[in-house]
Amino acid sequence: MLDGRLAYWRLGSPSPQTMELLLQTLINGILAAGIYALVASGLALAVGVVGIVNFAHGEFTMIGAFIAYLLFVGTGLDPFLSLGLAALVLFGVGAITYLGLIRPVLAAPELNQMLLTFGLSVALQNIALLLFGADTRVVSTSYQGATLSLGGLSFGVPPLLAFGLSVVILGALYGFLDRTRLGLAVRAVAQNRLAPGLLGIETQRVYLLAFGLSAALAGVAGVMLSVMLYASPTVGFAYTLKAFAIIVMAGLGNLRGVVPAAIILALAEALVSTYLPGGGGWVEAVFFLVIFVALTWRSWRAA
Amino acid sequence: MKKVWMVLLAVLGLAGLALAQTTVRVGVLLPISTVAGKAALNGVQLGVDQVNAGGKVKIELVVVDDGNAPATAVPALTKLMTVDRVDIVIGGLASGVTFALSGPVKQYQPLFLCIGAASSVVEQAFSDYNRFFHYHPWDYHNVAAALEFFKYLYDNGARRVAILYEDGPFGSAGIQTYRQQLERQGYTVQAEPFKSGSGSFTAILTRLKGFRPDILYWIGYDVDALPIAAQTRQVGLEPKLIYGAPPAWPTGFEKNNLSNDIAGMTAWLPSVANNESRRFVNLYRRKFGEVTDEYMAPMGYVIALSLGRALEAAGSTDKDRIAAELAKVQMDTPFGPLSFKPSDTGRTRFQGFNQSIWLQFQYLEGSRRPVFPPNRAARPLRFPGNY
Repeated sequence: MLDGRLAYWRLGSPSPQTMELLLQTLINGILAAGIYALVASGLALAVGVVGIVNFAHGEFTMIGAFIAYLLFVGTGLDPFLSLGLAALVLFGVGAITYLGLIRPVLAAPELNQMLLTFGLSVALQNIALLLFGADTRVVSTSYQGATLSLGGLSFGVPPLLAFGLSVVILGALYGFLDRTRLGLAVRAVAQNRLAPGLLGIETQRVYLLAFGLSAALAGVAGVMLSVMLYASPTVGFAYTLKAFAIIVMAGLGNLRGVVPAAIILALAEALVSTYLPGGGGWVEAVFFLVIFVALTWRSWRAA
Repeated sequence: MKKVWMVLLAVLGLAGLALAQTTVRVGVLLPISTVAGKAALNGVQLGVDQVNAGGKVKIELVVVDDGNAPATAVPALTKLMTVDRVDIVIGGLASGVTFALSGPVKQYQPLFLCIGAASSVVEQAFSDYNRFFHYHPWDYHNVAAALEFFKYLYDNGARRVAILYEDGPFGSAGIQTYRQQLERQGYTVQAEPFKSGSGSFTAILTRLKGFRPDILYWIGYDVDALPIAAQTRQVGLEPKLIYGAPPAWPTGFEKNNLSNDIAGMTAWLPSVANNESRRFVNLYRRKFGEVTDEYMAPMGYVIALSLGRALEAAGSTDKDRIAAELAKVQMDTPFGPLSFKPSDTGRTRFQGFNQSIWLQFQYLEGSRRPVFPPNRAARPLRFPGNY
């Protein structure tokens, strides 16, 4: 079998199968990047604009997944149709969290803020455990195993849908940030916390909006995860870890860097899983290795 | 006056009966927030109801949550032993938790009736403890049962097995031995690790297309079941059988079309046709208003019933006399006959069930149906399955 794997690395003109495998791997990586970018963009908004490292971001994702699951079980509503409702509910949850918990500690030391969001994360997970138990719950749709084929390449319909929706949502987010007065105010606050206030921008409202949007993005990602994976109290954890890795690689608070960072990391993950023997077990290590290299390179360049 | 005497006599008679009845408090230490733990607790309560209804002995349960974690389980056991002062404990569902309990159990010396904990590491940990009754088969029994099924598949034309195993202790323990045993049966095997819960299988499955496996065998957790079923189709892998070995399956998985034809192993299903199984299903439905297909429910039920028999025979609350009677118990159960013998390795003295209780099932039309061994099959195995 090792010979088979080494064949991929042999020099000379690649066989059609080799090219097909490479293309399929790249497609797998890019499709995965969509949802990574969606989760990470929400986190980047909280970190970049409000200045809060929100450890409860994964739990907002979990709430989104449960909203989709409960609507599916209760009313038979297709999870993708509950995206809007989940976004609205999570915006509300984010806004309440900001007003009740985050705003009072904005001036507190960063360690206190992190402990607060960590505590919120533990509390939300345990509330979910009490309400729903630790069971893994799955929805059932007609398209979960559906595939589109193009030549020898295949595209899973749910990841393709999730990717397409992520592109649309992130496009709308960037459009909002670039082309509206409120969006520009958000960017201004992200760049400098004091000056926008002196120019008449209500920073508290901007913080509220940014934190609400951050939670809404997490909720939308949660809905997608309920279709592709499952709903459970811990569903957000793995994706939040990746989101942290992505925003660190993009540069904390750099919203524009999130999408390229998500693509690089998702491609690295796909390439390692496909081409490295036993690569499936190395995925997380590669994720953090890429961050390590990025941070080292950045600091070396700055020196 | 005559009436007063009759009432007095009746009261005295009842009081005498109550005094003659052996009453014992039993600690139950289970992960009650998990599907398997809740099912086990329901089974224990159902069995205790049956025992108490017999009127000869009375069991009182003290239930504590082990949190499915050693850090919660050890203090919970300490509380049972020092505050509630029980002499008998039913528990030990997860291997990791039970292994952590081995030290405190030996310290407090209860009669420990172990419901799960298949890992032979646990067998080793309790090897010098004579109040340890292990009902569940050991991991080598599980392997033997699965290999028997794989031999059947080989005889039906399967030649290549792709094993996806989660890279933690659950999935990777014994993977090399497993691989060797499959190769000894004549299979060509390719084994690949994965991160449980990541949901990312497309890359590994894409590479496996070159291997063209007849059987896709995955060892992971419930969180991996749907992503593997969906992504196997998405990459067009088309194995002849998807065989999963998680400790529990996701809630609602049977209603998802992607579960159809997926096979796995369990110790019991409600459709198992024996008298004790039917009796258990009826009693369970009457008490809880539903039918469970978690085998931990009848396992808990069997433990409570066997304890009731031992208590009755011992006529005492002394744990050693109860243990001596429990060692002699022979009874029919929903799994088949139960009696205690030394384990196959000789490490522990009281082993209840072995590989004979395992059966292979397949998700067919929205529920799990026994398909192997043939003498216990409710439906023929669909091989090749349609994925």
